[in-house]
Amino acid sequence: MKQILVFILFAAMLVWFMFSPVYKHVLIVRQAFLQKEVDYLLEIGMNGEHGYIDGGMIRESKERMAQHGFVSADLVYSVSTTSGVSGTDRNQPVVRGNGVILKITYPYHRLFVIDRLIGINVPEETDRMGAVGMKMSEYVP
Amino acid sequence: MYKLLLLLLMSVIYMMMYALQTDEEVALHTLFQGKHALNRAVHAAAQQSDSMKLAAGIHAIDEGKAQEAALRYLQTNLKLNGVNDPLPGSFLRSRVDVILFKIVNDQEVFPYQYTNAEQEFTVTLERPGVIMLIRLEYPRTYSVLQPITWTIRSSAEMVF
Repeated sequence: MKQILVFILFAAMLVWFMFSPVYKHVLIVRQAFLQKEVDYLLEIGMNGEHGYIDGGMIRESKERMAQHGFVSADLVYSVSTTSGVSGTDRNQPVVRGNGVILKITYPYHRLFVIDRLIGINVPEETDRMGAVGMKMSEYVP
Repeated sequence: MYKLLLLLLMSVIYMMMYALQTDEEVALHTLFQGKHALNRAVHAAAQQSDSMKLAAGIHAIDEGKAQEAALRYLQTNLKLNGVNDPLPGSFLRSRVDVILFKIVNDQEVFPYQYTNAEQEFTVTLERPGVIMLIRLEYPRTYSVLQPITWTIRSSAEMVF
């Protein structure tokens, strides 16, 4: 009897230790993907040929993110500029000297279910993680 | 009984290994974020052309505007306040020090080579540009990891 109890305890602990940190890893990787996507969109959007981040680029970005397991409908992109133009209109590009701030947010979803079960205070499922970046445009009309 | 002891010991070791791994992983992402923020700061600073000199056909950097732009872009990207202390909601927990902010302007002879022996940093600029070094301290979550402080180096040239 004691043997069986010890076995169950060992097995349960082993499974717990194998799987519980994976969730943290998913969180880190998602955050990293969001940050890389912000960096990429700013790099492309603010180069000398573009000066904008329009709907088409955001749609392509959502497709890329969906390939990495993101639910594309839950991704929210917000673009703002220091010059006052929208930054999402290809006919009104942001000219050199002005910056664009891009922010992508994504909900945590059910990443913290296990932590909530054991009573750790964690963000809600609808709370959002996000990545943000600001880069100066190189576009010269 | 010794099995229970072994179990406890194993769990402590596992926890430490996972803490170390998580912290190392996050540290690397923090370093990248710092590097990108600095890249954007020097890039923004280097694009501040001096319009008076530009009218005379000389490409030069407006030093006042450049410094302002560099700090603004660094602070926005790393979520810092006006004196480079982290804002609430920022991942960092200690002040970011600007070790060097150097503008290589139009009076220099190009290609211009800048060498900093102390930081083992060498860069060659073909055009007027900006060189900036910051010191970033990593806010470690677990004390398993040793304290990390990076000196991040970056430079940018004017685009024209």
